[in-house]
Amino acid sequence: MPADASTRDPVVAASSLTKRYGQLVAVDELTFSLCPGTVTGFLGPNGAGKTTTLRLLLGLAEPTAGEALIFGRRYRELEDPARRVGAVLESNDFHPGRSGRDHLRSLALAAEIPSSRVEELLEVVELASAADRRVKTYSLGMRQRLGLAAALLGEPELLVLDEPANGLDPAGVHWLRRFLRRFAEQGRTVLVSSHMLAEVAQTVDQVVIMNRGRRVASGRLDELTGRGKTLEETYLELTAREAS
Amino acid sequence: MTAQLRSELLKQRSTRTNLGLLSTMLGLVLLAVLLHGFGLPAKNVDSTSEQLTLVVGWGEKLGAVFAGLLGAMSITAEIRHGTIRPTFLVTPQRARVLAAKVLGSMFFGAAFGLIATALAVGVGSAALAARGMESQLDGSDYALFLAGGAAAAALWAAIGVGLGAVVRNQVPTLISICAWLLFVEGLLVGDVADVGDVGRFAPGAAAAAISGQDPDTLLTPAVGLVLLALYAATAALAGSLVTARRDVP
Repeated sequence: MPADASTRDPVVAASSLTKRYGQLVAVDELTFSLCPGTVTGFLGPNGAGKTTTLRLLLGLAEPTAGEALIFGRRYRELEDPARRVGAVLESNDFHPGRSGRDHLRSLALAAEIPSSRVEELLEVVELASAADRRVKTYSLGMRQRLGLAAALLGEPELLVLDEPANGLDPAGVHWLRRFLRRFAEQGRTVLVSSHMLAEVAQTVDQVVIMNRGRRVASGRLDELTGRGKTLEETYLELTAREAS
Repeated sequence: MTAQLRSELLKQRSTRTNLGLLSTMLGLVLLAVLLHGFGLPAKNVDSTSEQLTLVVGWGEKLGAVFAGLLGAMSITAEIRHGTIRPTFLVTPQRARVLAAKVLGSMFFGAAFGLIATALAVGVGSAALAARGMESQLDGSDYALFLAGGAAAAALWAAIGVGLGAVVRNQVPTLISICAWLLFVEGLLVGDVADVGDVGRFAPGAAAAAISGQDPDTLLTPAVGLVLLALYAATAALAGSLVTARRDVP
């Protein structure tokens, strides 16, 4: 993390963010913020509220209470959001009968991004030779990379990824880790949810851990794991304590 | 808005959905017009109104049905396959996305209506001629039928988008459109429960009126056009409002 990161405006700021579905409280008074140039791991058991939180941040769902701001605004009020935020929420948000290239082109047209950028990204995610094939023929790893390419179309300053390593082979995971590190080194910001704690420990600067809709821990990785504990031990202790 | 429309037109061109709908529609138009053109007793199809309504009218009706399906699928397929998420991430102004879907679907819908009515006219005239019957339709009847068929299908495409945005689930949406146009309206304006005075205000009857069918029962083409446009605007507006308010699936 750059030394002056804390003095800059937060890229993402959630304050008392709450989402209820009837009786179920999916996200409960969640507060956290992210500084530019950081990679933040967003951790928690299944059903902890991670995906709901990401959906609230990205304007796909409305909070019941509290607010989620990105670059100081609600996502739906951002001008030209594709040039500021890139996000992948599900690994399979594609029409199976559409080619990878046409998927990217349809999004690029809506965001008024030139088609040369589509070709560039197809090279970056190593899908150029499969670009005209329909997505139904793609492996899970190829779909992950296509989703990532879509998120990167507008050269965003913030990348939000939900379980991006699912389905990637070891080489793919290695590629993703290096990619995210380089992305953050350029002063840009990453929020990545994951279950793969060993992988997270190698990639992120800081973590936010959720359980049952609430934040149970957050901070720099070295602070949380500083007492001779691994991230996995810390995580299991925190999420087990909450459950009991 | 132009950007969203260009994106929508590419989306509709880049899958085989519309092509599949088009070929199914053409097959059904061919079947329906041939069966009625050859099958109906000569005395039932010897007037302008009868030839228009009972034989070639199938082109208009099936054009409207398939344009409605096309419009509905433009939104329900995005919800079903999850592409609605990246779509709304790029364009969080959801009303703009819906408006682009309405316009894009109206464009392809109009083409569907024009192709279906043109095929019906060609096949219907040929079938009657093969039986040694004269076509009672003149140039202005044909012109009104084709233009009306295109307009009716375009407006039904908009109704499909609105309905799809409200219902969201693909299969019930598609079944509703088919059931309404091919079955329920037949009951409303048919002989079984003749509520013709009310039935002619139904959206399928209004669509038929635009192309000049059954002028004794249905509304005039101009009134039919205005009424169907009102249905389309209501459906599109409802779809846009609920989409803006509800969480994205």
